[in-house]
Amino acid sequence: MHEEWAALLSDRVPDCEAKVVFGKAGDKSIFVASPSLHRVCTLLFSHEDFDFHVLQLITGHDYLASEETKDTPAQRARIEVSYLLTSFRKNHDLILKVELPRENPTLDSVCDLWASANFQERECFDMVGVRFENHPDLRRILCPDDWEGYPLRRDYEVQKSWHGMEVEPEHKMNLPEREFEKRQKEMAAKHGV
Amino acid sequence: MQDGVVIAKVDEFLNWGRKNSLWPMTFGLACCAIEMMATGASKYDLERFGCGAFMATPRRADLMIVAGTVTLKMAERIKVLYDQMPAPKYVISMGSCSNKGGPYWQYGYHVLKGVDEVVPVDVYVPGCPPRPEALIEGFLTLQKKIANEGLLRDKWVKNA
Repeated sequence: MHEEWAALLSDRVPDCEAKVVFGKAGDKSIFVASPSLHRVCTLLFSHEDFDFHVLQLITGHDYLASEETKDTPAQRARIEVSYLLTSFRKNHDLILKVELPRENPTLDSVCDLWASANFQERECFDMVGVRFENHPDLRRILCPDDWEGYPLRRDYEVQKSWHGMEVEPEHKMNLPEREFEKRQKEMAAKHGV
Repeated sequence: MQDGVVIAKVDEFLNWGRKNSLWPMTFGLACCAIEMMATGASKYDLERFGCGAFMATPRRADLMIVAGTVTLKMAERIKVLYDQMPAPKYVISMGSCSNKGGPYWQYGYHVLKGVDEVVPVDVYVPGCPPRPEALIEGFLTLQKKIANEGLLRDKWVKNA
């Protein structure tokens, strides 16, 4: 079914580069090129074969390139945004994915199609830092408005203080615990475990 | 009691009145608030200890039960609410989160590591969440603490 959908998408939106991706575990998904996202979503929303009238969620994932696997295509640094679309009338659903660069990720908002996208896109902006263009009210939804950084980025480092409150007071933290893996390796090397 | 006369020290009389009419503020942050509600409901019945009158405004309350995770965003509001309460005022920190950050103490970027960073805490109730019995124990501990206070003595007697 996904192959037919991808063919139909490529037919109607020629520059969308739709391709079906089989996960190692879990569901199939369709990747599209990020500039064509809004046109693809319009088609998915309005075409009678798709009829995706429910947007369940939008999530962002951050992937860092690790040193060993930097050159393999599956492991490059990127941000993926997933849209879980559902049709209760046709009884099918689809995971639509878009890949973005880690620096200044921008996407078109789909708030005009699905009203539920409003808060979901705000959360994605808050946590991963994806900027949605034409969003009616793009503010942080969970973190304070003047928070620095995007917490669900892999290389996120929390700020020292916020409004005079220390975020990680040293006398209350077990900071050496953070180097647990390092210490574990040291111990393994020392004792030969 | 035949002639309706009771002799007591003023301080102890005031303490007796205050400790048996603690009015907590209606104020819950997370799952601990569910246990707090259960403590106030008929099965555990906080009214037995005189502290079941949950006030809907900080200006009429003299006890604040910080029941739940204190995020940094909420910590500012807690400080404001605490400042609005009339003295003498008391704080019970209920549950691991408000005691020391709870499960968020190590990597929780958004959680204040203990509500005692912003307001002074009188009684800590451990648990995740504490059972109603534990919260009642916290109330009783606070009542003992209040019973040993000397507000008038501290105010008027030098070197007390």
